[in-house]
Amino acid sequence: MEKYFDLAYIAESVPLLVPFLKVTLMVTGLSVLFGSILGFILAIMKLGNSKIAKKFAYGYTTILRCTPSIVLLFLTYYGIPAIAGNFGINLNDIDKAVFVVITFSLQFAAAMSEVIRSSLESIDRGQFEAAVSVGLSHTQAYRRIILPQAFVVALPNFGNSLLELMKEGSLAYTIGLIDIMGKAELIIAGNYNTHALEIYLALAVIYWTLSIVIEKLFLKLEKAFSKGKQVITTA
Amino acid sequence: MLEITNIHKSFGENEILKGVDLKIDKGDVVVILGPSGSGKTTLLRCINFLEKADQGHAVFGDIDVSLRTASKKVIHGIRQKIAFVFQNYNLFTNKTALENVTEGLVIGRKIAKAEAYEIGKKALDKVGLSEKYDAYPSELSGGQQQRVGIARAVALNPDIILFDEPTSALDPELVGEVLTVMKQIAKEGTTMLVVTHEMSFAKDVANKVIFMDAGVIVEEGSPKEIFVNPKEERTKKFLKRVLPEDYIFYI
Repeated sequence: MEKYFDLAYIAESVPLLVPFLKVTLMVTGLSVLFGSILGFILAIMKLGNSKIAKKFAYGYTTILRCTPSIVLLFLTYYGIPAIAGNFGINLNDIDKAVFVVITFSLQFAAAMSEVIRSSLESIDRGQFEAAVSVGLSHTQAYRRIILPQAFVVALPNFGNSLLELMKEGSLAYTIGLIDIMGKAELIIAGNYNTHALEIYLALAVIYWTLSIVIEKLFLKLEKAFSKGKQVITTA
Repeated sequence: MLEITNIHKSFGENEILKGVDLKIDKGDVVVILGPSGSGKTTLLRCINFLEKADQGHAVFGDIDVSLRTASKKVIHGIRQKIAFVFQNYNLFTNKTALENVTEGLVIGRKIAKAEAYEIGKKALDKVGLSEKYDAYPSELSGGQQQRVGIARAVALNPDIILFDEPTSALDPELVGEVLTVMKQIAKEGTTMLVVTHEMSFAKDVANKVIFMDAGVIVEEGSPKEIFVNPKEERTKKFLKRVLPEDYIFYI
């Protein structure tokens, strides 16, 4: 009789899953890109003088943060084509990845707007004043003095949000996206739902590896950009 | 060279400056004294447009401008001629001492990098930091940081340098090194407007002392006039509080 748990399945399924990392990474990458841009705009709105913009940005953040990823995913996946359909536009044949990227961009933007806002506010206003008093324009003061420092402050939280996004991204299999999660489900189905545990373990190993690489990368980045930052050494 | 008339500034309900006039000539070292909350710092910040005055007028060389409605361009122009030394140094923490000094030259004034570095090094030499060109602010003591702050102002070769309580954030044993540098640049003929609690600096270096209280100038004159023969009751009270009993004898 076949063993219930067989390590060989892990070794066998990893090479089958790895090619689909491409999809996972692409969806994550695009969501991070669009989400960061949108998040930056939202952060500027939060810090700006316009009361309406401020209200909108904070309202957006609250609603998005309070919507579970999977609910938001279904809302965009079913909602956007339904709305477009009302205007006679057919979006039913669009690649599923598009809806996934939209969903996670919107969600990442909410998280990033807070990360960026708090990092900008963490830089002492005195440095901005010093910069304009030596003859820099406001834009130059932000670009050369404030943003480089805020960037370093934001990095750990940015990395954190990115890992979160990558893991939440696995929910995309529920609308039929074939990333590594989707592929794992297909393999399991192909095995008549046996040996699911091994396949999920293989999946976990891939996510762990990916996360460790990203974690290390962000630590390196933080170190590289931390010039001039106070180094606190503990004995 | 700089003439300010009738500055008013309120923060909410709280009126900080209630019509202050100020005239500074080239080569003047003017010290503003006064209890905390009297509006000294706000006055300085309004001159450099770090705060927008509610009312007031400035004549600066050939620039004649309202402090309330000055355009961005005029403000930028005036800031090119006025340097500011901050109480908390406000050094750029992501830049070395030399980069702190040259930032305004290279980016603000578009001076070639090599030339700016020469000017910057000279300014740092002047404040006794020849060994610290490449040090980041976090690697410097408070006194050294403030000297970089002064070098940053001096390097711009401004018409006037504003000092906002430059020694107030320093440990007592570090105050001396900063005052020495300030005395030295005053001797070189730099025009300075200094808010300070260092009476010795006012006495030894200033050619004009202004006493402010509650948003107005109470009294102004030479150090001798203010310290030896103060006319106003408020000035006398303030001096009695801040000066040691027998101090007057040594003037």
